[in-house]
Amino acid sequence: MLPSIIGTSPTIIKIRELINHVADTGLNIVICGESGVGKEVVAQSLYQKSPRMGRPYIKINCAALPEGLLESELFGYEKGAFTGADQKKKGKFELANDGVLLLDEIGDMPMALQAKLLHVLQSGEFSPLGAEKDFKTDTWIIAATNHDLEQDVKDKKFREDLYYRLNIIKIYISPLRTRPEDIPLLLDYYINVYTPKFNSQYLLKPSQIEKLKKYHWPGNVRELQNILKRILVLGNCDEVIDELKYDGEKIYDSDFEKPTAHPSLLTEDLLTLELDNPQKVESFSLKKIKKKALDKIEKEVISNILNKTAWNRSKATKILKISYKTLLSKIKELEIEPLSSHNNESGVGKN
Amino acid sequence: MKTPIKILIIDDNEEIINVLYSFFINRRYNVSTAINGLDGLKLIEADNISFDLIITDLVMPNISGTAIITIVKKKYPTIPIIAITGWGEHPGALAAEAQADVILEKPFDLSELEKIVKKLLVKKTDRHKHGGRKKS
Repeated sequence: MLPSIIGTSPTIIKIRELINHVADTGLNIVICGESGVGKEVVAQSLYQKSPRMGRPYIKINCAALPEGLLESELFGYEKGAFTGADQKKKGKFELANDGVLLLDEIGDMPMALQAKLLHVLQSGEFSPLGAEKDFKTDTWIIAATNHDLEQDVKDKKFREDLYYRLNIIKIYISPLRTRPEDIPLLLDYYINVYTPKFNSQYLLKPSQIEKLKKYHWPGNVRELQNILKRILVLGNCDEVIDELKYDGEKIYDSDFEKPTAHPSLLTEDLLTLELDNPQKVESFSLKKIKKKALDKIEKEVISNILNKTAWNRSKATKILKISYKTLLSKIKELEIEPLSSHNNESGVGKN
Repeated sequence: MKTPIKILIIDDNEEIINVLYSFFINRRYNVSTAINGLDGLKLIEADNISFDLIITDLVMPNISGTAIITIVKKKYPTIPIIAITGWGEHPGALAAEAQADVILEKPFDLSELEKIVKKLLVKKTDRHKHGGRKKS
């Protein structure tokens, strides 16, 4: 089955057009875009539309392996090349001969290996570790990365000559949040893909789709797939959607109580804050957590009231039953700002 | 009446396109332009136009000039290509590898460019006499 590049946004239309024009050229291609946007789907689509379809399609993740291992994975080694090399191992370049080699996370490739890769791209030859001669290779190189390679070149983290040699054709996939029109189509597509597996007829309500279109999808299409799987497994769509965070805030309608209506989530949040940072584990204490939790709740309540009173501090003090002086010091201490509230009428979920 | 010479100019810099466009139009060339490699490639592959010469920038979004040169040299080997570059040594070296007929570094003189165009067209006509244009 052809991998599907789903969407009707200008970006996606252009990507399809690009694929159709370049799939038969065999020229080096760089596919870039944030994690989860579908770089591998584009690579597979290129392969399937190329004359190399049916020949090997080999993928290697350049970020997943330490330098030495990555080198032997790419180029292979001869028997006896080093201690423990008790038999010959074919490298990815050999395996991908006549086909496609997808170098995923190319931006994470160590500099020394970048030089060796450049040599292969220039000469069309590679040499397995311990081999006496070079081997010819006819491999179509497709590289993928979530790095800004141009910036990496400026920062001297990526070789300029390799950058230009790979960047003969560049396919950029923009993040999902910049093309919300693709979200309903993606949801529709993956519901159809997953439904037989989960044996559950499930359709999203228009209001739920609207909420998902407003979400900023830091994990892009991969996150959308995961969320959809959760919805299909748990069956509780509203709950899953309400747990999503929109630019650090939850997607909620304006209800005042909702963000603090999940004490367990609040605790989890605070615990994560401490335990994620090993240096802070030392200074961890229940007292500090209590203070943090209280501050968090106070901040939310005060900013909510201030926003509801259009920052009329006198009115707010009356509602909160605190003195004007206390309110001012709380605003300062808790760093409350007019636009920081997420529970007021103009909250994210409403728009 | 002589049919005008058809030139395609590909550059992602609009100013350069405008300058080259007016320069060649004033000299009675038939000029098409494209603002990126993909649009350029679409014009090249369109059935109703066959260009006599292509002038392309090298560093461009999506399809680079090097890609254009490689594709054109494979599918339409008789069309001469002039590569213009202003990005250091690497793109120029790749264009040479892809067999661009001439590589011109920015900034260049327009009269110099026209001289090169004329020279390449004469060469093309000479070559044409020894074999037709291949379009595969």
